[in-house]
Amino acid sequence: MNSNFNKKWTRFKYPDSYYKFGSYLFTLLFLVFSIHYLEIPLNRLFGMIGRMGNVLSTRYYPPDIDYILDVDYMDYVVETIQMAYLGALFGLLFTIPLGWFGSYNMTPSKRFIYPIARMLTMGFRAVHEMIWTIIFVSILGYGMLAGVLALTFFCTGFAAKLLAEEIEAIDMGPVEAIKATGANLFKVMIFGVLPQVRVAFTGIAIYTWDVAFRAATVVGFFGAGGMGWYLKRNVLQIETERVAAIILSIIVLVLFSEFFSALIRNKVMKMK
Amino acid sequence: MTIIDDTDWERMGSLGDVMHSAGRFMGIDFGLFPNLVIPSLETFMISCLGTFLGALICIPATWFGAMNITPYKPITYPIGRLLMTLSRSIHEIVWALFFVAVLGLGALAGIFAIAVRSVGFIAKMSAEAIEDIDKGPLEAIRATGANDFQVILYAVIPQVLPQILGVIIFEWEINIRRSAILGLVGAGGLGLVFFRQMNTFNFHGVISVIIAILGIILVGEFISYYTRKRVI
Repeated sequence: MNSNFNKKWTRFKYPDSYYKFGSYLFTLLFLVFSIHYLEIPLNRLFGMIGRMGNVLSTRYYPPDIDYILDVDYMDYVVETIQMAYLGALFGLLFTIPLGWFGSYNMTPSKRFIYPIARMLTMGFRAVHEMIWTIIFVSILGYGMLAGVLALTFFCTGFAAKLLAEEIEAIDMGPVEAIKATGANLFKVMIFGVLPQVRVAFTGIAIYTWDVAFRAATVVGFFGAGGMGWYLKRNVLQIETERVAAIILSIIVLVLFSEFFSALIRNKVMKMK
Repeated sequence: MTIIDDTDWERMGSLGDVMHSAGRFMGIDFGLFPNLVIPSLETFMISCLGTFLGALICIPATWFGAMNITPYKPITYPIGRLLMTLSRSIHEIVWALFFVAVLGLGALAGIFAIAVRSVGFIAKMSAEAIEDIDKGPLEAIRATGANDFQVILYAVIPQVLPQILGVIIFEWEINIRRSAILGLVGAGGLGLVFFRQMNTFNFHGVISVIIAILGIILVGEFISYYTRKRVI
């Protein structure tokens, strides 16, 4: 009893505390090593705020609003919205089977179809949408078709993972009940899974549209149509006031889209 | 009638021509892989540093953006929310262009671009986690006479720290994808190699670079899976 008298209580006892502090130390050492390895000129950081203020006030101000209000640019804005809408729509259409096959409890065959669907989802998601754009532009040429396909692939990977996680989180009771009535897999999906997943899927759809719209504004940078093409042209010509105006238009559009999607989400929440 | 007009159907040709164009990409340039090790390491490091810097920057953004701990609600709460929305609305390529103009080409511009882009997501998720906490400990610590900062340190942070760490690790995994393409606008790493392979029309090399990107994403997913299991 005397040996326990002087012990101090700590939250993490012997092996866990070593792992915890060891991993913190390792992370910090890795970060310091990265700064040294990448040869980052830390002295540039000191004048950074001053230089940023200088750049913003002399080069990016006043933004060239007349350039944006030109008719051609508005056509491209409408094109961007159309591209985002089509990309999100087709992406969601492909998400429904891919998310279904990629969920562990509702997939038809756990040995073959589930790993393939999961790997496809991860593959679509891992490649950045800009890389999809570059590949499709080099196959299909400039224009909106490459952009729509790139956004479709991106949205499919992104939404299929979310949908698979939603389907894995449902209550299996109603599903078993409907299976007991003798329904085949398709009817089990419609009557057992769909009512539970319906609201979450609407949320996923709205979020996908939001993300697709943000990506669509810049997808034109690599030639796929939309506002990004104007951005690239003006960056290469170093017309920084016009670049500032285009960035302002991007911000305004994305704010509108976010406001709009929050409105729809509130309506869906109320309808639930 | 077409869904997407201004598609140049003559340039694309028939389906056979499109398949032939796509077939040019099929193939891996194995000789390129030794040259991809160092850029992969650079990309990985850029994403780590960018996420770390973003987590640091989002401390004030989270503090302002959460409704229950923000200091003066009518002014600071909209500022916090505006910062979050602004950082999420602008794509990382646009941020990278801006930071290259301010900081010069190289890894530093990429790190800042990723940091500023991550602030939106991390701050938004953290603010939602903070708004969902249990009010009991908050009142208890305030009753002992602590000022606002001590209330945050002793009542709020212990409750939300696992979730915030989980969000940071999730965002780190997404940042690995983003840092791979920031090289396309001048931030170094695998994006620069991708750009060069694309410009010299070495399509098999392009596939090699994509495989390298998938490789480091896999490494990131392993680390993130085991770390999230430990933290949450």
